[in-house]
Amino acid sequence: MIKNYIKIAWRNLVSQRLFSFINISGLAVGLAVCMMIMMYVAHEMSYDRFHENADRIFIPQQSFTMNGNTMNMEYMSYAAGEIIKQRQPVVKDYTRTMAYFKPVIASNPEKPDAKFSEKNLLFADGNFFSFFSFKLLSGSAQHVLDRPFTVVLSEDMAKKYFGDENPIGKTIVLKTDSAFTYQVAGVAENNPSNSSIKYSFVTSNQSLLQMKEAKLYTGTKDISFGNFLPYLLLNHASDTATLRRSLDLMAKQDKTFDKVHYSLSALSTTHLKSNFGDSSNLKYLKIFPLVAVLILLLALANYMNLSTARATLRAKEVGVRKVSGASRKTIAAQFYVESALFTTLSFVLGYVLCYAFKPWFLNVLQLKIDSSFLYSPMVLILLAVLFIITILIAGSYPAVILSAFKPVATLKGKMSKATGGVAVRKVFTTLQFALSVGLIICGIVIDRQLYFFRHKDIGINRDNVVMIPVHNTFGNNYNAFKQDVAQLSGIENVATSHHSMFHGYDMVSINGKTKDDITMVASWMGDDQLIKTLGLKWKYAPATGERLAGMDRLVINEAAIAKLHLPVDPVGSYLQSGDQKFKIIGVLKDFNYSSLQSEISPLILFTPPAKFPFFKRDGCNLFAKIKAHTNLPTLLGKIQSLYKKYDADTPFDYTFMDDAFNAQYQAEDRLSSIFSVFTYITIALASLGLFGLAAFTIEQRTKEIGIRKVLGASIGSINSLLSADFLKLVILSIVIASPVAWWAMHNWLQGFAYRINISWWMFAFAGMTAILTAVATVSYHALKAALANPVKSLRSE
Amino acid sequence: MIKITELQKYYRTEEVETIALNKLSIEVKEGEFVAIMGPSGCGKSTLLNILGLLDDPDGGSYLFNNIEVADFNERKRADLRKHNIGFVFQSFNLIDELTVFENVELPLIYTGVPSSERVGRVEKVLDKMQIMHRRNHYPQQLSGGQQQRVAVARAVVNNPKLILADEPTGNLDSSNGNEVMELLTDLNEQGTTIIMVTHSEHDARYSHRIIRLLDGQTVMENIMI
Repeated sequence: MIKNYIKIAWRNLVSQRLFSFINISGLAVGLAVCMMIMMYVAHEMSYDRFHENADRIFIPQQSFTMNGNTMNMEYMSYAAGEIIKQRQPVVKDYTRTMAYFKPVIASNPEKPDAKFSEKNLLFADGNFFSFFSFKLLSGSAQHVLDRPFTVVLSEDMAKKYFGDENPIGKTIVLKTDSAFTYQVAGVAENNPSNSSIKYSFVTSNQSLLQMKEAKLYTGTKDISFGNFLPYLLLNHASDTATLRRSLDLMAKQDKTFDKVHYSLSALSTTHLKSNFGDSSNLKYLKIFPLVAVLILLLALANYMNLSTARATLRAKEVGVRKVSGASRKTIAAQFYVESALFTTLSFVLGYVLCYAFKPWFLNVLQLKIDSSFLYSPMVLILLAVLFIITILIAGSYPAVILSAFKPVATLKGKMSKATGGVAVRKVFTTLQFALSVGLIICGIVIDRQLYFFRHKDIGINRDNVVMIPVHNTFGNNYNAFKQDVAQLSGIENVATSHHSMFHGYDMVSINGKTKDDITMVASWMGDDQLIKTLGLKWKYAPATGERLAGMDRLVINEAAIAKLHLPVDPVGSYLQSGDQKFKIIGVLKDFNYSSLQSEISPLILFTPPAKFPFFKRDGCNLFAKIKAHTNLPTLLGKIQSLYKKYDADTPFDYTFMDDAFNAQYQAEDRLSSIFSVFTYITIALASLGLFGLAAFTIEQRTKEIGIRKVLGASIGSINSLLSADFLKLVILSIVIASPVAWWAMHNWLQGFAYRINISWWMFAFAGMTAILTAVATVSYHALKAALANPVKSLRSE
Repeated sequence: MIKITELQKYYRTEEVETIALNKLSIEVKEGEFVAIMGPSGCGKSTLLNILGLLDDPDGGSYLFNNIEVADFNERKRADLRKHNIGFVFQSFNLIDELTVFENVELPLIYTGVPSSERVGRVEKVLDKMQIMHRRNHYPQQLSGGQQQRVAVARAVVNNPKLILADEPTGNLDSSNGNEVMELLTDLNEQGTTIIMVTHSEHDARYSHRIIRLLDGQTVMENIMI
């Protein structure tokens, strides 16, 4: 019997090629989107779960409140892990890691000329490889890090620096602040893409302790903020509450900080909780599954819509089968088998599409997913579940509708208009268009907001400013380099800044009236050319002859006046930080030194004297303002040669301030790209749905159209008669979608301190797009019906 | 074999109620060949649909082989139908996507005949209907007469006790029509009961008895000699 079902399904598929193609490909597109998002979500959810003890590993986090602001810190001092383990019996073991914050220069001493800048140098305790489940390809987990200056390479690094040779026992030079030679003790598998711990090189904390810089990192002997992430392995996953209380108590006893509270995050949740990295993934994680489900439902609704729309063509068959002894159940089973066949083809095509577009999708999201993950049991099970659900839903409605046909009616060609489904179809189509319209509106708002971000006057002249990071490896040569660059012909001006623009700032504590009244304020350090180079404007300029540079003075922005309770014109007043006093010599007009997502916060600008060694110790950034119409590649080439003159090892790197500014909106940019693709897909699917509905309803009105034509109706009048019905649905969908989209986008915009207003034309544009799409879709059927010979349609009655 | 008593069937729209069968009583014995005649709208087809268990009556009794079937649900009707009744329609009603062989095979599939046995039975009946050479053709490749022979083959492949024919020659020319009537007569002579709705006096002469209906009631019965 099944063979017979498949046979007839296949013949139907082949004989109705266009219909089959539309139906299968429509569902395939929906499935592809769903699969892609499913893999992405599964990957995000699977972070760090591959560790054997993942459920028992936790990271402690300290939080404390200062002047109403809560600060969370998970990076702790070197001593913290050991102290916690000693004093907390529920902690079975711990390991500490410190990810080196900047790239290192790596080289194989046998090939000293091949130097590369590498990211992800990890300092870790000796038990790192036995604590976690990263696989070692060579070397033993217990011993690879038990001595100072041994290193474990990732597979990629081993290949890069040692080719096909066995690297074990060989040496590699890693230049951090200074260059050190490490002996290769092991090679580890590349860290899985779903690992929040990233490494290219892992070396022991013991190595760090032997470096002269170590004090900076490992100094304090008690629990305090620091550079290390302590991972705690608990005896039981359920010990967290006990441990948290006990840690709070410990903090109270030690009185290291007032009002310190501990929380514990499970290792597997750190990726999604992380506030330090790019939190945009969390946004997607909320939106995407919803979009995936909606798009799949749309595609399924289309499938059902189109399948049942063609029911009249199959009605006779159902009648014959029933007369030949088929029960309703067997007919339903037949249509289920048929749906299963179509769905299987869609699924295969969807899978192919998913893999074809995966690189694009991952690129837009700036993600990497190991291919091994894509074939992992979890993903295969999810795909199987998706497959089964799709078959069940896709087959359900056609099976119910088609098996209910009465043979008496179908065999006599009297398919009644009550065959049903018109209402259901109308609901489907309206919802599909509502979703399309909603997405178009959201797309426009997101796009306009991004445009606004890019073009808003932020009070900084960010055009043609190139930012060049300079490391402490420059030693005393920075000023010489700066002079050399300033003298290049295309350069208008140069300045020094501690931080790169739009990449963060320091915080400084400013004393208030009482001892406990401390305010944390963003602070910046630069040279006396910085204000000029950035084109910042004065609110109250320094008095004539007043120097900008000096250890006893500072400049503030307007926002700081209110926050620090200063007089309206605070020039000449003093601020105190710790026991140092600073004179306010000028006030800058507010400018957006960080993302437009937030309001302008108070800012303090320090200008240390030229000889102050701060920049030499920490490195800094050279900002070069380039004259208009300068040949950029040539100029950058010249700057690079100057750079290499003073620091041949560290790679030359530069960013344009404009790009850095735009990069702040990457998350929104990505959201916008993905959104537009979802929108296109939704519109395409909705059009398919409308196509199905039009086919169905117009087929039912064949006789009416015939009579109208016999009575003298023109093609145009029939076309508009038929199209009007569908336009009503589209207009209804616009009415439904607009308030929902307004609400969603209104909420989204609340996340930005600087935002656009949602205006009427956005809704009008979305509505017109939907209407034009609908007219184009319906016209095919309407014209076909209007052009048909009425004699034919009337004879069929 | 068939005994209907005071059978009623109405068709209702929102405002009008049309009586299709008005307390109709008919009896058909096993092995009979009965023709039902009457003007359009007299209830012939309604009667045939009810007899064929494709439709249910609104009142009265229908005994099929002494079993009351008037109140059977759809599943039971389908079950009874597939084992006992074959249908022949004016418009043949073959499935376009299936070949001649597959169309005829269909009832056997639904009665659960194993596939090895089906081939033999289908071939036998195709042979008997003289369309064996067309077994792999699709319906639209056949003439009307050939299509109706396939339809008859499909109706008899399950050896039903009763064949219901609804104007079986209505779409055929006279020579093809006569051929189909000969086939039905042969089947009747081999013991199959046949009830045929027809407009054609010529066709009706092949039967043993003519029941004439008007407005859902029997107006006359002619016994053919």
